[in-house]
Amino acid sequence: MAEPLTPDHDPIVTRSYALYYLIAIVLLVASLFWALWDEAYGQRPWKKYQAVFQERYGAFLKSARSQSAQAEKEVQGNPEYRKLAEAADAAEKQATPTIKKIGGQLKEVSARLLAVQNVFTDKRAWVNAKVYEIETEDSARGKQSKQRDLDKYKAQQFTVKFPDGSRKNFNFDQLEEEYNRLREEKARLNADLGELLKPVNEAKTKRDDYLKEHLVSLTPEQIAGLQKKTADWDTKIVQINVASANIVDRCESCHMGIREPVRLTPASLAAKGGKPDEYARAFVSHPDEELLQIHDPDKFGCSPCHQGNGRATTSVTKGHGDYEHWLWPLFARQNVESGCQTCHAADMMLHLTTGNVGQVISEGKFLFRQRGCNGCHKYEGYDREPEDLLNVQQQIKQKEEEQQGNLRRAAVLTKQADNATDNATANRLYAEAEALKVANSRIAGQIEQLDFRSRDLLRDLKKIGPDLKEVRTKLNKNWIPVWLHKPTDFRPTTKMPNFRLNDEQIKAISAFLWQVALTDKLPTAPKGDATRGKELFETRGCLGCHSIGEGPEMQGGDFAANLTRVGEKVNYDYLFRWIKNPRVRTRSYCPYEKKDIGPEDYAKHNLPYQFDFEHSTCPNDGHELQVEQMTVMPSLRLSDEEVADIASYLITQRQKDPASYPEAAFMDDPKLKEEGKKWIRHFGCAGCHEIAGFEDEGRIGTELTVEGSKPLERLDLALHTQKAQEGKEVITDKAILARLPEGPATSDWYNHKGFFEHKLAMPNIYDQGMMKAETEKLRMPDPHLNKDQIQALVTFLLGSQETSLPASYQYKPEDWRRDIQDGWWIVRKYNCVGCHQFTPGQPTSWQNVRRFQDPDWKEQFPPKLLTEGARVDPEWLMRFLANPALSQTDTHRNGVRPYLKIRMPTFFFSDMERRKLVRFFQALSQQPMPYTPERLPTLTAKETDMARSLFTSAAAPCLKCHATGDAAHDKTATAPNFLMAKDRLKPGWTERWITDPQSISPGTSMPSGLFRKDGDHYVFAGPTPSAFAGYDKDHRQLLVRYIFQLTPEEQRRVSGRMGRAPAGKKASSRKPAGSTPAGVQ
Amino acid sequence: MNKKMYVASLLVLVLLFVAGCGKKEAPPEQATAKPEAAAAPATKIDPATVATVSGTVKFDGTAPKPQKIDMSQDPACKGANETETVEVSNGDLANVFVYVKDGLGNYAFDVPKEPVRLDQQGCRYHPHVLGVMAGQTVQINNDDNTTHNIHPSPKDNREWNESQPPKGAPITKDFARQEVLIPVKCNQHPWMKMYIGVVKNPFFAVTGKDGKYELKGLPPGTYTIAAVHEKYGEQDQTVTVAAKDSKSQNFTFKAGAGGAGGQ
Repeated sequence: MAEPLTPDHDPIVTRSYALYYLIAIVLLVASLFWALWDEAYGQRPWKKYQAVFQERYGAFLKSARSQSAQAEKEVQGNPEYRKLAEAADAAEKQATPTIKKIGGQLKEVSARLLAVQNVFTDKRAWVNAKVYEIETEDSARGKQSKQRDLDKYKAQQFTVKFPDGSRKNFNFDQLEEEYNRLREEKARLNADLGELLKPVNEAKTKRDDYLKEHLVSLTPEQIAGLQKKTADWDTKIVQINVASANIVDRCESCHMGIREPVRLTPASLAAKGGKPDEYARAFVSHPDEELLQIHDPDKFGCSPCHQGNGRATTSVTKGHGDYEHWLWPLFARQNVESGCQTCHAADMMLHLTTGNVGQVISEGKFLFRQRGCNGCHKYEGYDREPEDLLNVQQQIKQKEEEQQGNLRRAAVLTKQADNATDNATANRLYAEAEALKVANSRIAGQIEQLDFRSRDLLRDLKKIGPDLKEVRTKLNKNWIPVWLHKPTDFRPTTKMPNFRLNDEQIKAISAFLWQVALTDKLPTAPKGDATRGKELFETRGCLGCHSIGEGPEMQGGDFAANLTRVGEKVNYDYLFRWIKNPRVRTRSYCPYEKKDIGPEDYAKHNLPYQFDFEHSTCPNDGHELQVEQMTVMPSLRLSDEEVADIASYLITQRQKDPASYPEAAFMDDPKLKEEGKKWIRHFGCAGCHEIAGFEDEGRIGTELTVEGSKPLERLDLALHTQKAQEGKEVITDKAILARLPEGPATSDWYNHKGFFEHKLAMPNIYDQGMMKAETEKLRMPDPHLNKDQIQALVTFLLGSQETSLPASYQYKPEDWRRDIQDGWWIVRKYNCVGCHQFTPGQPTSWQNVRRFQDPDWKEQFPPKLLTEGARVDPEWLMRFLANPALSQTDTHRNGVRPYLKIRMPTFFFSDMERRKLVRFFQALSQQPMPYTPERLPTLTAKETDMARSLFTSAAAPCLKCHATGDAAHDKTATAPNFLMAKDRLKPGWTERWITDPQSISPGTSMPSGLFRKDGDHYVFAGPTPSAFAGYDKDHRQLLVRYIFQLTPEEQRRVSGRMGRAPAGKKASSRKPAGSTPAGVQ
Repeated sequence: MNKKMYVASLLVLVLLFVAGCGKKEAPPEQATAKPEAAAAPATKIDPATVATVSGTVKFDGTAPKPQKIDMSQDPACKGANETETVEVSNGDLANVFVYVKDGLGNYAFDVPKEPVRLDQQGCRYHPHVLGVMAGQTVQINNDDNTTHNIHPSPKDNREWNESQPPKGAPITKDFARQEVLIPVKCNQHPWMKMYIGVVKNPFFAVTGKDGKYELKGLPPGTYTIAAVHEKYGEQDQTVTVAAKDSKSQNFTFKAGAGGAGGQ
């Protein structure tokens, strides 16, 4: 018998795994739930933002609504509103009975029309069908029989049942007629009704507009709309998607208040009773409405300006792109204007009508040029003149080749024609050859124009530093090595950076410069009076660009050098020549021969030693010469006496005796020359200075056009990389730390911003701890910038990126806006903004000059140019910019405002730059070009009498302030001569000016309120001369026409009538230049 | 994951949640938002306790002689006229603007309804120094037979420049912000100058020929009193007054000095 089969102890079967399964199940379920939760919430932090926004914004709107209702009530209580409301009610009341009556008629007519229409449409359909049948019937008999049917039908009587129960019979034609009549009647009644309602609606609109205009915020109804929108909000991703530009920005999923039509601040969106938190800060409105209006977010998105990762929604950090795998992190708040550079690389000046958006980036762009950064670093768009010059020269070459080719081809054609078999072919070939020759004449014209342009461009080329070929004529020899040691020791505000040169380098460089400099002698200049010179220096215009005095004593502009110690470094004779005309060169330079051309070259060819814009070709080879100093400094058209006075004053500006500088005999040591040359090349001195032998030297620095998008690992922080990542500061010097825009580092600064800021604060910082040979060390000199300047430059550099946006997003207009871009380039180049205001509130250098603080000196400020393009005739402006004296003989004066001590200088603009400036002013004032002057009707004899009586009346004392050309009178004048008006001004502007000058040039001496509005025209506000009796036209227009037709004789006549002090009487002796300008105490 | 499945599993999840947690309470109705930064409680002055500060402004040194003004450029400007910059008699300095610069805390003051007058007569301004409360109307009259223009050059207020015909209708203006002193001139008669002191409180005065000033109706407290002269600048002094006090506070301006100085 077989033993029952008992299974062995089987661990797999007997052991329970329930516990493990349970754990696994729990884990699985838990991870499922976690995954689901994470999917729904963890990865979607914006949901929380939206919920919080809904709650807080709702609460905000609620209070805003009650405030708005309150404000609405207040406005409604205003007598003006009540008047409008009453007018609206009255209009409605008055119109109501008629409206009701017409409404009744309309209703009745409509009902009758409907009754007729019901019958008529049916019958018309039958008739139309029959007509079609007749038209398509082939046989004449068939046509006739159908026509008979139709006639019969039309003769039938149809019954119309009207709504009032009456019935009437019509045949078809009558029916049609009745239908049309009723329709016209209805249209007429509707028109009447509209006419009646018009005044009612107008009055209501007036009332409602008044309310809207006088409510600071939205109306309660508008707020109610927002409340509803907020309450009904479904949580969802908010996204801007511009496929053409590859923009997907989901920023508004959290930043929900950014485009709301009410002003949201962190405080207004804080939790109830709490402080503004991260939510409140995220919900605020965009800080600048005007910016958003110009850059519609639906087209531009957010990230093209702000950067960050627009697609990311999983966390704030990801969204802002603040992680290492994202190359375009959000711009820091301090550098937010970097974003402008993405599209506005071509603009030198960015500004809005109001507010100060654009100031930082514009300052950065300006500094890059002003501090000579582009002397070493190429940056696209900063070499306009040299690049244009190269371009033009290439074009000339091409054109010349084209001419050659045409000539060859013409010769071939002519030859073929000579040997042609028949006359027709010969004539055709001759004609072709002739066409080529004519084409060449056209090309010759083109080349001529290009030559002019190339000459202009040569003239427009400037260098930021002075010409070092002149050091022997200009400088105190012993001063040079002292200066090179550390320029800021001598002049703390200099543009020249500190190069960290060692003694050997300083010796070698000064020796080279001294030995290659021109040795020509300057004529001895006359001496002047330093006291008079000081007054002239402070009042003639020098301080528009230059400053004088150090520390709190400093006054003037920061565009050009501070002259506090200029007397220690400069020779008097050179100073005299320079002040008289800084463009004068000791020798001209021939770029072709690469040589300075002197008297001996001219003598060789029996030519007088003369070079200027009229004599600008090389005596040796006819090539175009460099005849001007490459400085932007203009000439103030000073008399020799004035020049001597100013030079005598400046030469006294010293803190120590020039003779006390240690003797630098080594500068004559010829052995040092080669060494000096090496170092000049090494440090790239020729980027900013003209140096003999270095005229065609290239740049030594990195190109910075797209420096902001250089991969981080290619920015070499050397030994500081780790410290930067750890957020440790590496600068220890207190003075240098103060240059960091946000102070010493407290967090990770291993990014572009941190690299740039540290580099600009201390350019050799990344050499620290490194063992390097002298030639291997970082060459960038210390530009000794302050923290605002560093912030501006860093903002500019951060924005200097390659962009993925399509070209159409780049702001590169070709119309009048281009004129504005071109103009700003020139305006900043010559520092026009040092003296003139171009936008309201823009500071000028004169605002910190002490003399000009006196209210009596208010009239002495250079004119504001806020509406210059609308004010002046562009043709006149062209002439004025070429010759601001407006005279060929009497040049020591201001052409327009002889009463100003500050003189508008002569800048020797090239024709091209002048034209660009004129177009700039026109564009800035939105004036179309070319300009068509308005023709003013000639005054009749009676009108002349009237205008004259007004012009000379005690109530309109125009000539009291306006200059007349009479010396005694003009001593107290504070406004231009009227005789200039015709050529200079635009009549329409003049009319607006005499009406309200304060809104054209705020603060002007010309008062407002001379005219007042009377009905649809302006009349004189004071007592009107009797000649005006019965005159019902615009008084301003009459006066403007008179002024535009004023002749010198007429002006003399009328000024005699004004009862002024007779010209011969010596009212007061000539006052020194610095006394109170208006001639009174 | 298939969208349907995702929705289904979500549904399950939601059901579980609803079952587990029950209905979430609706957020409590937000009470009407807090009032906009409640205005500081305005303290009223008790007329029974008010004090007076008065004094004399002296001039130390030789005053520059007033100069004759040549008004021949406008025949309508009749009479004699001389500069009013430094007017000293017996060592007393006139035309000094004295006001309470600091120390009034939360007191609120009504702006007087009646305007202050500025007259142009004989091509000079009357008075030469004018005090006005911020927001108070200045009425400008022209009694001359010539056109004037009134052109203040403020730093913190809005600048304007308006023409007023001979014996024209009065012009009314006001200044919104405190500013001491605003120079005013007529561009057509450049010697015509005056100064306006605009103050937020009613405690200001201009010294007369006797150099005296008086600030009445001050509540007890400690104040900075400033005396401002168009040429010699500002001097500040601190004074403490108890209820019904009558304190004297003198100022002295030194010839040649501008700005700093004091007793």
